[in-house]
Amino acid sequence: MLDGIKAIAKGLGTTFKALTEPRDTYPYPEKRREYSPRYRGKHMLAKDADGHELCVGCGLCEAVCPAHAIRVVAAEAPSDKPVSWTNRYSIDYEVDLIRCIFCGMCEEACPTNAVRLTPFNELAAYDREAMIADKEELLRPAIRK
Amino acid sequence: MIRLTIDGQEVSVPEGTMIADAAAKLGIDVPVYCYHEALGPLGACRMCLVQVEKMPKLATACTTAVSEGMVVHTSNPQVDKGRKGVLEFLLINHPLDCPVCDKGGECFLQDYTFQYGPPAGRFQEPKIQKVKDGPINEFVLVDQERCVLCQRCVRYMGEYVGEPQLLLEGRGVETVVTTVDGQPATSQFAGNVIDLCPVGALLSVPYHHKARPWNIERQESICTLCPVGCTTLATGRDGHVVRVEGRPVPDYSWGWLCDRGRFGFDFAVNPARVTASWLDGHEEAAARTTRQVGQWLSQVAQEQGGDHIAMVVGGLHSTEEAYQLKRFAEDVLKTRRLAVSRDVPGYLPRALNGTFADLDAADAVVLIGSDPYDAVPVVHLRLRDRKRHAPSTQIWGVAPRNLHRETLPVNTLVTHAGFEAAVMAAALKRVAGTHEAVARLTADLVDSVEADPAQLEALGQELISSQHLTLLWDGQESDVESVLVALATVRGDKPTRVLPTWGPSNWRGFERAGFSARIEDLTRILEDARDGKIAMLMLFGADLLREYPDQELVRQAYDKVPFLIAEGLFPPMDAERFRAILPQAGPSEVYGTYVNMEGRLQVASPSVQPPGQARPVKSYITAWAHALKTSFTLPEDWDPYDDESGDLVPAEPMPTAVRAVSMPVQEAGELELVTGPLVVEDGIPSDILKPRIPEYPGRLSPEDAARMGIENHGLVRLTRQGQSIEVAVAVDAAMTPGRIFVPLGMVQSPVNKIGSGVVEAVRLEEVHSA
Repeated sequence: MLDGIKAIAKGLGTTFKALTEPRDTYPYPEKRREYSPRYRGKHMLAKDADGHELCVGCGLCEAVCPAHAIRVVAAEAPSDKPVSWTNRYSIDYEVDLIRCIFCGMCEEACPTNAVRLTPFNELAAYDREAMIADKEELLRPAIRK
Repeated sequence: MIRLTIDGQEVSVPEGTMIADAAAKLGIDVPVYCYHEALGPLGACRMCLVQVEKMPKLATACTTAVSEGMVVHTSNPQVDKGRKGVLEFLLINHPLDCPVCDKGGECFLQDYTFQYGPPAGRFQEPKIQKVKDGPINEFVLVDQERCVLCQRCVRYMGEYVGEPQLLLEGRGVETVVTTVDGQPATSQFAGNVIDLCPVGALLSVPYHHKARPWNIERQESICTLCPVGCTTLATGRDGHVVRVEGRPVPDYSWGWLCDRGRFGFDFAVNPARVTASWLDGHEEAAARTTRQVGQWLSQVAQEQGGDHIAMVVGGLHSTEEAYQLKRFAEDVLKTRRLAVSRDVPGYLPRALNGTFADLDAADAVVLIGSDPYDAVPVVHLRLRDRKRHAPSTQIWGVAPRNLHRETLPVNTLVTHAGFEAAVMAAALKRVAGTHEAVARLTADLVDSVEADPAQLEALGQELISSQHLTLLWDGQESDVESVLVALATVRGDKPTRVLPTWGPSNWRGFERAGFSARIEDLTRILEDARDGKIAMLMLFGADLLREYPDQELVRQAYDKVPFLIAEGLFPPMDAERFRAILPQAGPSEVYGTYVNMEGRLQVASPSVQPPGQARPVKSYITAWAHALKTSFTLPEDWDPYDDESGDLVPAEPMPTAVRAVSMPVQEAGELELVTGPLVVEDGIPSDILKPRIPEYPGRLSPEDAARMGIENHGLVRLTRQGQSIEVAVAVDAAMTPGRIFVPLGMVQSPVNKIGSGVVEAVRLEEVHSA
């Protein structure tokens, strides 16, 4: 009997001790963790100071991607309506975020520093289609609330 | 033979070989930009530096000929240092814009820089800015900043093609490649400079910014747009062919293409292409149309017998497809009415068929009616190459118009339309009249063939006494066949080889598959159809109204046939008369073997899927056999290749029967209509080539034009034997007076409606729609 009470007291002691200790978990989504700026999350396509896209559609990211998650189609922009800083630009740029393994090799391969991996990692959707990020989406990088 | 040592390996090569070629023979790669075997040594780029023992400095491997006992090092610290220095200089003004350059990934400047180049340049000053993406013509762009001044393009256009439309302008670092006076290059061989350029300076407009080497599918293919059958590489991306390049084949071809073949690939995506099917005038799913045609087939076969069904094959079908049709016709339908669509009446026996090697070995070439520049452009280049290497090669022409061109001097005996065979026979009679074959050939010939006797004599001498005679024949006159047989008989053991320049480009392949390529069989089918003996006429890729020499007969035949069925890439002329039109899968979409004018079998691999509902012929005939309730299995193992003749169509015994040439009658009149193929007007549309398709395709001499009151171009109505056509003509100074040239196969000016010969020409006012 006494042994039983002892055991319960010991167990509860551990419980009460843990109540006052600092927490390892976060009450997500009310509170969110701070990530390193180098964290490799969702991609973005950057623009230069004039608002021109940096991406020229060279396709090196597509070539280097080990998961075949990227598809690039380049096109020539009319000289009076430049899209990127040169006459070549990517008319289509898609990243399949389900295939992506976030290795960051696209970022490393990019000769114009256009594709960058942001720390944004809240990737969830109701269907697979929605997980393919198109160019529009990548040009407006998502920001964590 | 000279023996030398390269990198410790001994090799013996013929005298005069350059070190670069000797090294290539050993499999040692010496980097080069300017050197191309077809163009010869220049030594402009200095990239090929090698060390030759006992020579004080590094030597260029592409300009240094081998000598006995030479010891060459292609890779040691000294050579590497030399190459590194050369590359650093080449890159001084290079914009380093590889990410936007179409050549990126298949560029020799990139490759050699990775292999031999310096990790960084020491040049700090701003780079010289030059023209980027400037036009050479409608199809070729020049980026002068990327140019390494190897001069391949300039030399190719100037020396090889003979149309010097590119040149180097400026001095020193300001030197640029540009066109003469900034005018666009008009040569139909200008597209080849894209393949020749080792860097990204000359680029293809249709391929500009389209793809990169790692996201394309490149397949070995064959150009089927003319009888030459050039070897190509078709680049497919996302289900479309986006580029065609030349494919060099060692000891066979340099991989040159004409612009028709290089840029005309977009016919596959042309909006006019049949991708669904038509059944009794309305669009229908191809499967449904196929089923309906199957029901008709079984109805005709049961009620009238399979022999009331006729099949004509043509267009861009492969040899295998023709063979499958042949099997289906004979085994299932039990019909023997099979023919190849032909646009000229001539036929060449297999035994006389030469190869391109005969052009390279010929000491005399005779063009019978055929203008290679228009009909078989790459053969024109070959002929020019032969003439350059052996200037004593005699090039003769026997044609109703002057075939002389600045790039290829041709001594033309200008005949009247329809007199080529008679003139050839008369020439033979002069020099070998006593020979039995010639006597038989010229039995019906009256002596009044209008030609300069001295020229006739000279031509006859050339025909008889040349050591290796090669002829090009356009097939316009069927009598030439017997002249050629007689000529071969008279010449005996000395080679007499003929290259036929007519279409359809794979006619010899259809013949290999078992179809008769003689026009008589096609004529018999059409006459039977006109007489109501044929219930169903099936055209596979053939457009008889456009192609067959007698349009009236085709019209009459079409009127009488209850079931007109067509299968093809494009709707045939008068498409509304057809009960059913089915889509065809073309070259680059199905695997197929094509036979060119040499009789050479060449394989084209598919690089894309057929568009829409287009299917190979095989799927149609399998469905039809099913409708006919016949168990029909296609022999899968049929191979057009022959065990003995290799990649050539099997040889046949030389024909010996010589028919007499019939004496043509000269009609009275001032203007004679002459015709022939023109590759850009072959009926296969191309949006890319539009700027090159002549708005005024007919050609008229300045004298005749002045007589008719035409200044530079105009519209004329040509009338012959009660039929007339309207033709847009341009004045061409090279045209023979008294002749008007109209290309074969134009829908808007169907020359097959009136045939060639004396015509009455009336100038019409041009109506320009606003």
